[in-house]
Amino acid sequence: MMEILNNVLADQFRYLLPEIILVAAACVVFLGGTWRADRNLWGLFSLAGLVAALAALSLTSDWEAPGGMVAVFAAPLQWDGLTTLTRIMALGGGVVLLLFAWKEVPDRQAADHHACLLIIVAGVGLVAAANDLITLFLALELISIPTYVLLYLPKHDEAAQEAALKYFLLSIFSSALLLFGFSYLYGMTGTTNLSAILHTLNQETSARDIPILGQVAMIMIVAGLGFRITAVPFHFYAPDVYQGTSNVGAALLAFMPKVAGFVALLRVFGFVLPDGVTPRGGLAGTGLSDQLPILLWFLAALTMFLGNLLALLQDNIKRLLAYSSVAHAGYMLVALASTPFLYGDTSGPNAASALLYYLVAYGAMTIGAFCVLSYLSTPSRSVESVDDLAGLGQSQPRVALLMTIFLFSLIGIPLTAGFNGKFLVIFGAMAVPGEHTHLYVLLAVLAMVNAAIGGWYYLRLVAVMYLRTSHKPLQPERHTPALATLLVCAILTIGLSLPPAANWLLEATRNAVAPKSLPARVVQSDR
Amino acid sequence: MNEPTFDLTTYYPIFLYLVVILGFAAVAMVAVHLIGPRRRTAVKEMPYESGMDPIGDARQRFDVKFYLVAIMFLVFDVELLFLYPWAVVAYQEGGIPLVLRGPVFWGVLAFLAMLLIAYIYDWRKGVFKWR
Repeated sequence: MMEILNNVLADQFRYLLPEIILVAAACVVFLGGTWRADRNLWGLFSLAGLVAALAALSLTSDWEAPGGMVAVFAAPLQWDGLTTLTRIMALGGGVVLLLFAWKEVPDRQAADHHACLLIIVAGVGLVAAANDLITLFLALELISIPTYVLLYLPKHDEAAQEAALKYFLLSIFSSALLLFGFSYLYGMTGTTNLSAILHTLNQETSARDIPILGQVAMIMIVAGLGFRITAVPFHFYAPDVYQGTSNVGAALLAFMPKVAGFVALLRVFGFVLPDGVTPRGGLAGTGLSDQLPILLWFLAALTMFLGNLLALLQDNIKRLLAYSSVAHAGYMLVALASTPFLYGDTSGPNAASALLYYLVAYGAMTIGAFCVLSYLSTPSRSVESVDDLAGLGQSQPRVALLMTIFLFSLIGIPLTAGFNGKFLVIFGAMAVPGEHTHLYVLLAVLAMVNAAIGGWYYLRLVAVMYLRTSHKPLQPERHTPALATLLVCAILTIGLSLPPAANWLLEATRNAVAPKSLPARVVQSDR
Repeated sequence: MNEPTFDLTTYYPIFLYLVVILGFAAVAMVAVHLIGPRRRTAVKEMPYESGMDPIGDARQRFDVKFYLVAIMFLVFDVELLFLYPWAVVAYQEGGIPLVLRGPVFWGVLAFLAMLLIAYIYDWRKGVFKWR
């Protein structure tokens, strides 16, 4: 027993290879940047680091992961489908954001910027792998701390300072809330190992003698992670921060913390359960408190409505996209709220897989939209307000077409990844069986109403681009890496809606959240 | 229950340490008074407050250099915090299990290397230049 345990711990390092490569590359870039300030050199080096990490990931995911109860209950990290999928998302997002940042970051700051980006990517991978509350918290901080630097690096004006300070203060506040929730979780179960916690909480006679304890823990954890996914009562920072920081900073904030936040929610509440744990009462995620689906239901409804309604009032595109990012967090929360009722059904609709699908689609289209803004901006004239896009259909037809693709995907028009995502989310909510059917059909209807409201402000941008003319058309410089980002995002946005890629992604997300069975081999060694 | 009897002699290293500390403090103070040069100026007569003006509003802006040095100090402070427990249990009977000694050793080395990198980064960025 002890021997297995120690071997498992020693084994952990092998699977960490992608993150080790990323951090090592980040160290080299940090140090090297103090000798040479060269955006091309450090951009290429960071790109090589990301590609090497991807290669290492494809190597390690073939190795047989040490499975079973002993392995999972001892290890601070775990390796399953969700980990692999999240790491692919993080690394892919990292590559896209790196190309995006190429032009936007000045030579002098390129090294620091790219190194921080690499560490954030490593942090997202570790959040998905975390199997211990402490590891999870450290991984979340590994994302937050470089983000503070990233927000402040490219711009030093008052708005950027406000953005960085606001994000910093609210982020540490949310971390404190999260730790508070974790402390209750530890108090209830007596362990910090996530799998063991979920195992304990999902017993029929569980440690939930005092339901209020579980509720306090649940609310604190939802609040702490809600900040990262910009769920509504914790979204206040988003518009100001997105507006104040650079385009690439805003795109990064819209994607990376959301991935980390949602994956952490899936893990902590046990929407994705470890080997050999069956959900209590058949409802995944309610181990801590029965009230979780209701809480998520209200969060989802509020987040969708507030994000969409406030986006209607915005004239600044970055603020508009910030509220749109809040609204999309709402759609993803719809999926999260319906996850408990659809757990374990491998053939029917699966809300957790819909959530992951939506995250990928959302990443492609939002990063694409921010990249259009960055591509069109020149040092003398940055694209800020909606009116700046006027006449883009004539002056820059290709860029306007790309922007239209991203906006159509954000609306959820068929033949875009955004449509598939919304379809899966709403389909999942409609398929909730049992006594809560009415509530979830209502939630699905609310989501559809919100999709319609969202259509208004996205179409307004399209209309400004094609139906209005500008006295002073934008004259962006051609820039290859930014163009590559745009193309990759556009290909993903359209490609992920079509059969081969869409099927692959759906299969991958389903595998990521599928209940795992306990291999017989490990059951024996457990005794 | 067989409670071990309290024996003051087991704590003799602590008392020894106490004597050395007190002795050092006393010697340092006496030595300063005996051999230190004395220049009495108004500034020198002020109570010492780490270079800040001790009288006046406490809410004033500090130079950012103080923070940089403070964080640099913290790096090494935390480093020691982690190294002590490791040094104590690393090769002790019943400490770190044998299979884990290798990984933990390399982990500690990686930790030290990381701090070294941070130190070199600071140095290259000019944190130690008190301009």
